[in-house]
Amino acid sequence: MNELAIPAAQAHAKEENSSGIWFFVFFEAFLFTSYFAVYMVQRARNPEAFLQAQAQLSLGVGVVNTLILLLSSWTMARCVQAARTGAVRKAMRQALLTIAFALAFLVSKVSEWATEIGRGYSFTSNEFFSFYYFLTAIHFIHLLIGFVFLGLVVHQLRRPSPSQSQIETSATYWHMVDFLWLNIFALLYLIR
Amino acid sequence: MTRASEKRLTLVWLALSAITLAQYLSMSLGDHGAYRPNPALTVSVILLSLIKVRLVLMEFMELRRGPRLLRRLTDVWLVLTAVVLLGSYFAGPLLWAQ
Repeated sequence: MNELAIPAAQAHAKEENSSGIWFFVFFEAFLFTSYFAVYMVQRARNPEAFLQAQAQLSLGVGVVNTLILLLSSWTMARCVQAARTGAVRKAMRQALLTIAFALAFLVSKVSEWATEIGRGYSFTSNEFFSFYYFLTAIHFIHLLIGFVFLGLVVHQLRRPSPSQSQIETSATYWHMVDFLWLNIFALLYLIR
Repeated sequence: MTRASEKRLTLVWLALSAITLAQYLSMSLGDHGAYRPNPALTVSVILLSLIKVRLVLMEFMELRRGPRLLRRLTDVWLVLTAVVLLGSYFAGPLLWAQ
């Protein structure tokens, strides 16, 4: 695509993203904030117990998982931009990379849970771990749904005339999976 | 994509990763990585996370060039989340201590 067409393509960016997905994104954003509020209030009631339990989490694994999701958001954004300018093969590469990073997060998260359960920390161990499993499991479900959206991106990119709207809707959902995690990571792994 | 927009995305990703590493280092080195209450570090970690979230929304999700309403809503949500999280953290013990 020539350079003149690109501003036109970018002008279309506004219209491509259907409003439905944005309703959903903001709904989830506010919903998770309410979950976080409950967590923070309960944590404030018993800070020592929460800190002791929190110390059982692996900060390193948390950071790695966060970096993986940030990578996936980056490749997803690159995919959208490439598709917008008609660079379909590049877009496909970025989409497949996004799926690879998503899978890496999935494997990492499941093995992290397995390790923690193996060490005796389950959903009912203490209040912190109830919140930990609840928040990370709900996030994980969103991640699994994300795979459907990522699959839709690949499907679109295979067609002769990929739907930019469908690709951007999927990307919006995926970035939500990422930014929800950014807060979860801070509240479960980092804060003292 | 254009070279400029591709470079911008890369810079945003680098910033997000750098902030994440800074948060990690501050928590693993600050107060010797102890699991003790640390309001200063907690406030900085929460605010930095919200900055990261804003970067994802504005740059990766392109709200920077999107409808003003969505940008406003984003900032309202970010401020609300900050108030809720920090408010519970500081006011919590005063109200709820057992």
